[in-house]
Amino acid sequence: MKRYLSMLVMVVACFVCQTAIFPHLQLLHIMPNLLVVLTSASGFMYGRKLGMYAGFLCGALTDCIYGDVIGISILIFVIIGYVNGIANKLYFKDDLSIPITAIALSDFLYGLLYFVCFFLLRGRFTIFQYFAGVMVPEAIYTVIIGIVIYKFMYWLEEKLYPPEEVPLKAEGKIY
Amino acid sequence: MRKKTKITIDPKYILAVIVVFCLVVGVISYRFDEKMTPVRSAVGGVITPMQKGINVIGSKMAEKIDYITTMQRTVDRNKKLQKQIDELSAENKLLQQDKYELEEFRKLYDLDEQYAGYSKVAARVISSDNDNWYNSFVIDKGSQDGIKVNMNVMAGDGLVGIVVKVNKSYSRVRAIIDDSSNVSGTILKNSENCIVNGNLNLINEGLIEVSGIDGNAKIEEGAEVVTSQISDKFLPGILIGYVRDLKKDSSNVTQKGYLSPVVDFTGLKMVLVITEVKDSAELEEILK
Repeated sequence: MKRYLSMLVMVVACFVCQTAIFPHLQLLHIMPNLLVVLTSASGFMYGRKLGMYAGFLCGALTDCIYGDVIGISILIFVIIGYVNGIANKLYFKDDLSIPITAIALSDFLYGLLYFVCFFLLRGRFTIFQYFAGVMVPEAIYTVIIGIVIYKFMYWLEEKLYPPEEVPLKAEGKIY
Repeated sequence: MRKKTKITIDPKYILAVIVVFCLVVGVISYRFDEKMTPVRSAVGGVITPMQKGINVIGSKMAEKIDYITTMQRTVDRNKKLQKQIDELSAENKLLQQDKYELEEFRKLYDLDEQYAGYSKVAARVISSDNDNWYNSFVIDKGSQDGIKVNMNVMAGDGLVGIVVKVNKSYSRVRAIIDDSSNVSGTILKNSENCIVNGNLNLINEGLIEVSGIDGNAKIEEGAEVVTSQISDKFLPGILIGYVRDLKKDSSNVTQKGYLSPVVDFTGLKMVLVITEVKDSAELEEILK
């Protein structure tokens, strides 16, 4: 329950930062995607279910405030959460390589799904330009910011569930 | 908590349920958009005040960073602008004389000042889009301030975009540099029609696309483009930008090129919403 609540607070905080602070901190007209980081990190840290939950919240906020059609962003974020949840099996706490790879790949996946949903269907076919101009810089920036957020989530996790109280077998993370 | 026997559902099924849910909600919100307005307003009512508050911090930070990086540039520009002011004030005097003359002529022709006096409402930009694929932003005025969908938005004297979604206390504006934006424009000097569309690949260079200009028209570099009389959403005569690098396109029938907008979209803080919606019903009737 604590985890679900903390997730809700984090999603709202990230959404507000994303929309109100990062537009001022753009590099090359590109800003990082905190919501993808959050969804992806929840996925590989806590499993498919919480990944989807985080994705659902992120998508719902995006759609309600910016979307024309409610549902598309939810779908994209939920898929990202689910896919990252599969990586939960590979996740090992002290290693940064999984978070970095997962966040970068998630951002590409997000870009790709967005491109297909909103650009390809309008007849814009120049995917390589979008790839070089938007997706790659965004992924790099997102990974840099993502590590900070991931470290914070990791710290929060230790605070909420101190490791000695949770025996390894009953950890309840792998659903 | 932990001792309770939990009912565990395979996440696969949850995913399936969410996918179906999204499709249903998507169809509903596409078909009956107004049914979703209370949901949007409720969410916005919680989020937008936070955005407003945080945005202040964000813009302060940006100002500090800007202050450091642009000091030297500002000094240079200041010199250049000072020179420009001198030139312009001289030019202005001439123009003012012309204006009196024009007013006289207008009176003679019994023409009202059609474009000069659109009534406007100022609004603050409180947040930008949440990813890099779109260029829209949220302003802090909504239906309770008299904002309606399709109202034109300006900053300074240039066109910024159009209101696409209105909620009680906030509304969303799509910028003309957005990839899905199309504005029909007119080149001021020779009244050639053209289409101005945003392009995500050109945003970095600060440009948008202009196309559909008659292939035989001779257009100078830097010609002014304003919103067209025939546009069904944009009020006529609002400055959009200046033409650059026009070339004949592959069909050899029309010309296309770039347009540099007058508005600087990176530092947008205040915008003016024209509280007048173009009444295209009249136009449609004429066309019938």
